[in-house]
Amino acid sequence: MDLLWQVLVNGVLLGGLYALMALGLALVWGVLNIVNIAHGAFIMLGAYVCYYLFAGLGLDPFAALPLAMLALFVFGYVVQRYLLNLVIRAPMFNTLLITFGIDVVLTLLAQLAFSADFRTINPTYAGSNFMLGSATVPFVRVIAFGIAVGLTLLLWLFLTRARLGRAIRATAQNLVAARLYGVEPRRVYALTFALGAALAGAAGSLYGVVSQVNPYIGGSLTAKSFAIAIIGGLDSPLGVIVGGLFLGIVESLTSLYIGPTYSDVASFGILVLVLIFRPSGLLGRTA
Amino acid sequence: MSAPGNGASGGAVLLDVRNLSAGYGELAVLNDINLSIRTGEIVAVVGSNAAGKTTLLRALSRVIDCSGSIVFAGQRIESLASDAAFDLGLVQVPEGRQLFDRMSVHDNLLMGAFRRRDRAGVTASMERVYTLFPVLKERRAQWAGSLSGGEQQMCAMARAMVAAPKLLMVDEMSLGLAPAIVDRLLDVLADIRKEGVTVLLVEQDVHSAFQVADRAYVMETGRIVREGPAAELADDPDVKRAYLGV
Repeated sequence: MDLLWQVLVNGVLLGGLYALMALGLALVWGVLNIVNIAHGAFIMLGAYVCYYLFAGLGLDPFAALPLAMLALFVFGYVVQRYLLNLVIRAPMFNTLLITFGIDVVLTLLAQLAFSADFRTINPTYAGSNFMLGSATVPFVRVIAFGIAVGLTLLLWLFLTRARLGRAIRATAQNLVAARLYGVEPRRVYALTFALGAALAGAAGSLYGVVSQVNPYIGGSLTAKSFAIAIIGGLDSPLGVIVGGLFLGIVESLTSLYIGPTYSDVASFGILVLVLIFRPSGLLGRTA
Repeated sequence: MSAPGNGASGGAVLLDVRNLSAGYGELAVLNDINLSIRTGEIVAVVGSNAAGKTTLLRALSRVIDCSGSIVFAGQRIESLASDAAFDLGLVQVPEGRQLFDRMSVHDNLLMGAFRRRDRAGVTASMERVYTLFPVLKERRAQWAGSLSGGEQQMCAMARAMVAAPKLLMVDEMSLGLAPAIVDRLLDVLADIRKEGVTVLLVEQDVHSAFQVADRAYVMETGRIVREGPAAELADDPDVKRAYLGV
């Protein structure tokens, strides 16, 4: 029973981070209709920005996180404005190819620039824990969870309350009408993609704190983000939180009861089931 | 060009179109269109499918290139971009309503004010629009896609009103709506006129357009073939035969 509780706590903490990873992918997918294969590579870049700010400049990783977000925001804006805008509203196959290409290039450049060594962001308090009932909870994981959920809620507030957030949703739902009332799609697309990249930057920073970073983590993170986005649906950041928590808990339970090698089998198995039975997501609208 | 008007309003000329031609690439759709609208009027442009009505609206809202002259509120606009024309108060209610289906009614209306920076003015416009359309106020938190057809048309018109139009161009308002609902919408157009907004109504449904319009233009294959007070046109034997089925 104690073990189950520990596993559930681990699963929830992991799930919060998963949600943040998937958030940027789901946002870009929902608004631009682009499945960004390079999203995992963006997360990887965010992790390295955080790592070098920590290891090189001695910055606390949680203080480095906003800087990593800013760096990825600028990077994402440039990529969208000068590369993806060339293929906007192209068939999805074209955008898949181009983001796949970006993924390959980023991964190889990262290998050249950062080497293939595993890196860990290890602040002095990395080993501190506290007890939650009978479960041991690593301090940094709780902070990472809090930041992940906090950022997700902030994005939700931005999309529902802010003028630009409304324009982003409007553009996603009806491009013709959005243009008619003065929205510039190119600007909205660049902003949305930059936001998605900034969220990847945040997710990467947190990933570097709770796990290890190398240039090749991107592929599996894209796949997980994709699964969560499908499970949670593309309509709302809140759905993505549910999808992330769900996947985190399922993976943790699978590791405990079946074996750690099977956790990916479980998560992608669920993805297949969701695609068959609820193609618009667990919470999504029924199309 | 005959002097416009049955005297319903003595306002200044708001929109004056001279020798307007437009089309898509090599394909000329509009041919030498002359048309004028005075402030406070409701003017209908009627005609069957493919008469060029929607192309006319596109030329007026500066979505497609054209030749000839368009003077709106004393300013030449034929070479302006659509955003600039919109900012002058030339606002369209598009055919098919084009709402943001999965956004609340309230958020749909706020999108009408996207380019407006005067917060107080926007709040006042929202209040006025909710007074004009009480049913939208009731349903303000509902998704626009969940409204009935008539309510969706009201929502689209309300959204355009929040953009602070001088000239509201309504494209195929009655399309797919029951006659009783169309009558209700015609009343709304009269209310909109009382708000000081001039209306250009583009309709296939000649009968309902003539009920509310002061004057009307009849279009056929890209030309204007008849014009005059709506009441006179409704009695015109040719118009009767071609459009009113009598």
